[in-house]
Amino acid sequence: MTTDAHSETPGTPLLSVRSIEKSFPGVRALSGVSFDAARGEVHALLGENGAGKSTLIKIVSGVFPPDRGEVLVDGKPVDLARPDDARRAGIATIYQELLLFPELTVAENIFMGHAPRAGLGRIDWRAMHEKTNALLASLEIHDLQADRVVGSLSVGNRQRVEILRALSQDARILIMDEPTAALTEYDVTRLFDIVRKLKARGVAVIYISHRLDEIFAIADRVTVLRDGAHVATKRVADTDAAELVQLMVGRRIESLFPKITVPIGKPVLEVKDLERRPLTRSVSLTVRAGEIVGLAGLVGSGRSELAQTIFGVTPADSGEIRIAGRKVDIRSPAQARSLGLAYVPEDRGTQGLVRPMSVRENFSLAALGKVAFGGFIDRGAERKLADDGVKRFAVKTSSLEQIAGKLSGGNQQKIVLGKWLANEPKLLILDEPTRGIDVGAKAEIHRLMGELAAQGLAILMISSELPEVLGMSDRVLVMREGRIVAEFSREEATQETIGAAMMGSHDNAEKAA
Amino acid sequence: MTTLTLAGTEADPRRRLKVLASQEALLAIAVIGLAIAVGLYNPRFLAARNLSDVLLGNAYIAVAAVGMSMVIVSGNIDISVGALIGVLATISGTLAVNGAPIVVAWLAALVAGVLVMALQGAIIAYLRIPAIVVTLGMLSILKGGLISVTGGKWITDLPDSFHLADIELFGVLPFPVFLMILVTILAALWMRYSASGRAIYAVGGNAEAARLCGISQPRTIVMVFALHGFFAGAAALLYATQLRVIQSTVPPNLELTIITASVVGGVSILGGVGTVIGSTLAAVLIAEIASALVFIDVSPYWIRAVQGVLILVTVIADILRRRRMAGA
Amino acid sequence: MSEIPLPQTAKRVVPWWLLRHETMLAVILLLALIVLGGLNSRFLTLDNLLNQGRLTTEVGLIALPMTFIIITGGIDLSVGSIVGLCAILLGYSWKNFGFPLPLAICFSLLVGAAAGLLNGIVITRVKVPPLIMTIATLALYRGLAEGISQARSVRGYPEWFYFIGQENLFGVPAQLWLLLIAIVVSAIVLDRTTFGRTLYAIGNNETAARFSGLPVDRVKLIIYTLSGLMAGLSACVLVSRVTTTRSDMGIGYELDVIAAVVLGGTSIFGGVGTIWGTVVGLAMIQLLKNGLALTGVKGDATIVVIGAVLILSTLVASSLQRRRDGV
Repeated sequence: MTTDAHSETPGTPLLSVRSIEKSFPGVRALSGVSFDAARGEVHALLGENGAGKSTLIKIVSGVFPPDRGEVLVDGKPVDLARPDDARRAGIATIYQELLLFPELTVAENIFMGHAPRAGLGRIDWRAMHEKTNALLASLEIHDLQADRVVGSLSVGNRQRVEILRALSQDARILIMDEPTAALTEYDVTRLFDIVRKLKARGVAVIYISHRLDEIFAIADRVTVLRDGAHVATKRVADTDAAELVQLMVGRRIESLFPKITVPIGKPVLEVKDLERRPLTRSVSLTVRAGEIVGLAGLVGSGRSELAQTIFGVTPADSGEIRIAGRKVDIRSPAQARSLGLAYVPEDRGTQGLVRPMSVRENFSLAALGKVAFGGFIDRGAERKLADDGVKRFAVKTSSLEQIAGKLSGGNQQKIVLGKWLANEPKLLILDEPTRGIDVGAKAEIHRLMGELAAQGLAILMISSELPEVLGMSDRVLVMREGRIVAEFSREEATQETIGAAMMGSHDNAEKAA
Repeated sequence: MTTLTLAGTEADPRRRLKVLASQEALLAIAVIGLAIAVGLYNPRFLAARNLSDVLLGNAYIAVAAVGMSMVIVSGNIDISVGALIGVLATISGTLAVNGAPIVVAWLAALVAGVLVMALQGAIIAYLRIPAIVVTLGMLSILKGGLISVTGGKWITDLPDSFHLADIELFGVLPFPVFLMILVTILAALWMRYSASGRAIYAVGGNAEAARLCGISQPRTIVMVFALHGFFAGAAALLYATQLRVIQSTVPPNLELTIITASVVGGVSILGGVGTVIGSTLAAVLIAEIASALVFIDVSPYWIRAVQGVLILVTVIADILRRRRMAGA
Repeated sequence: MSEIPLPQTAKRVVPWWLLRHETMLAVILLLALIVLGGLNSRFLTLDNLLNQGRLTTEVGLIALPMTFIIITGGIDLSVGSIVGLCAILLGYSWKNFGFPLPLAICFSLLVGAAAGLLNGIVITRVKVPPLIMTIATLALYRGLAEGISQARSVRGYPEWFYFIGQENLFGVPAQLWLLLIAIVVSAIVLDRTTFGRTLYAIGNNETAARFSGLPVDRVKLIIYTLSGLMAGLSACVLVSRVTTTRSDMGIGYELDVIAAVVLGGTSIFGGVGTIWGTVVGLAMIQLLKNGLALTGVKGDATIVVIGAVLILSTLVASSLQRRRDGV
């Protein structure tokens, strides 16, 4: 399992990524990203969703090729056309959604595709178990048996199976994508033990995470990506959390946020002690008419889960929700809708838009009741509704019959937003309303939000962009690990105060009441 | 997001043993238990003659279920196999009656089975048409083709040497039973000890992960279907040679019995899990139930309803088991 | 990232409606009619065509809810077995329970709906995939039919019962009126109502449909129940036409039904399809059967053609769809 056999020029980084560029239709995912990792180094990649981390690791693991740039291992360029090529180059990747075979045993999962053979090409089960036990022993894992079925393991143990699989292939470069996203604290400790052991063996670990405390605990260097570009590479010892947050989310204010000050009305949404394990824990909040409440937090802090619990996608286990003062028990999105709630989800393509349907059909989807009489859709009313929406939101489309999935991201987002407004909701929950759309559309959505608030709509806005949160919100709530940990008024909120609360340095964050 | 509450869901080994250890053991107990229970009610059920008839007459279902199990483990389904068995039996019988060497008649069934199934596998894997559409279409092509070509005429006057099923090994072990056991053991060993056998589980369990392990999904699926065709050919030979005549029609609902045997045998209908030992035991159990109904004075017309309940219960239990395993 | 003005729906020389699947199918149907009519003078007669309509009613009644189901991305393979079960229960409850025939009819319709409801409940609650669930009930419902009937058929129904299956109303086979009404109602429901719109939304993006507050599970429950109910109705019409009940009634209906729906342009992957397409698909299949029979091809050979048509039309549809999505 040792890597000493491989020749190596002293001073050459084990892995070196040079000026990688990658575009997808309509999106520039990476523009000239470089970084390197030495033997025995843990190199963290940091950045918000959409910063280009996952595209980058997919290129390094051979899932798809870069448009420009190259990857070097031991100073030699490698051609990574297929995942197999990466494996042969000694690169192993552990994805967030673990790629295991739940019905097969630990040993088999580790050796799938390269099982030890005995005579006649048959799989040598005994050797496989012995090798598995040797691997387990080498990492001092004593509570995992080679013949356990993987589906019965905890997420932490499944992840260790993936790590063992990588080691069984003599991986010298291990890429871990958000390895702690689904782990308990205990499992995180154990994971770090393993990472340290790997480090000691000379394995280079590329560690992707949003959690700053982890980066300080485990990484040697950190590279920050933003909007597909390389922002900075720092030695962990030479930086601090505040600086990293700044690098990660503090983009220049690229458009003006036209916040209109409007009189704040009565509470529209009141949530008290809402529980839905694991990511909604005793959450209490209030949103008033005319108010925009920003909900900040790192990815995985439970913001979207909270929104979906309020909206009835994953109904709450306990707690209380009041809409306009009336206590309600929301069990489904349909019910939430009829109570005057609207939810523009985070993932436009899979949760918001019905891509193959027309602009007209998408616009009326959440407001079918408004254009139908006794269940019959009034085509004229529907067209008018869609037409009004297209005009109001300045959707650039050839016609109402245009297939919605073929529009640009900004126009798609306007449709998803517009379909809810057709329903005349009282409360609008926006989950990353401007992610992945261009500047013009972004400004337009911000302008609309201001107008809607002015008309008395209550808005709860989840956003990972601090300038957006700061620019749009009357009040900012910060979530971490499923709880609301801080609340700031518009005057109190700064990148520093919010950033600190997101990361969990309590010193300068005020505890929520 | 629901996979987060996993602290402390580590199944304790004893429970795991109970849940997963073995559908096979359960089935074996059921087979024996049912024999004893019915035997107590009506001792004639246990007569050697009856038990061997049950095995002899249904061995071909177990053989076909071996191939079906592979297909289902790979995450697919095949409902054309019953019709295919009818066609292959007729091909083989027709050749034998028309003077072809007996071995050629036998081989023809195997070869034709492999070809038809490999074709279906290729359409499913490379053209990405759902298995249900392809095999439903093929079911009707084979069924209609068989009747219109033969006009439903029975094949009689088969040469004596054609009757594989009459052979008794060592004077006691009838060939169909021997073949059933042999095929089951070989297939079980192959599925456990060969890389290509394990690939079936990989493709059915997690196609994306299999791809990243360097396993070709389309190639695995074509291979599985080709093998399934081979076993269908073997099953057709047993079916064709156990009676003096071949009916030249498609045995009604045969595919359902075969699917039931596979599913009840512990092959998860969502793919990725199951063994052929289970499916063979289940085939025996189903045949035993059919025979038992007669001996406990219940009309044999209820057999398919019993099958239906069996398959429904197993499928629902499988889904619930998976959900629990996923740690919801 | 830039907001490029999008290329608009290409300026086609051919009007859009001509390129629709249903239109092309109708043209093919017309050509087939002319060719078959030329080959055999008995084919293109009103009598023959009306009679074909009579024969296609039983499959047609089931194909309508099946269109709904396939549009949502589901499938129901148990329909043939429900026909068998309902037919048996119609005869059995009339003869053995002594139900008056109208009550027996209601009873068998009720059983059909209940059988469909069971499919729907397990599919939406336990989340068993529709294919698997309906294969299981394909076996179960047929098994119940066989067990209850004990291979005995029931005959000798009162004369009035044969009206729907054998008589004419205003010169048109009585059951054809039933089918026509069902077609019109289904087409309006699919095309004009919120229910129909929900079906398309589920088939195209179930999550987005759910997130938009559409009652996804309730709609699924309704369509599987409807499928069972229509299979029950189909059973009554069938019994009335052939004057007897047997447990093997409706065997293989799932093939004819699914073939008609898929041939009619409904995508087996969900999201796309119309009732008109299904109607043309039904007509194609029935006339193909009839035309081939009249030109001397034996009845069984026609199901070969249907099987091939099923596979080929799926192939064509899926390659068209892939090309469209590839844009």
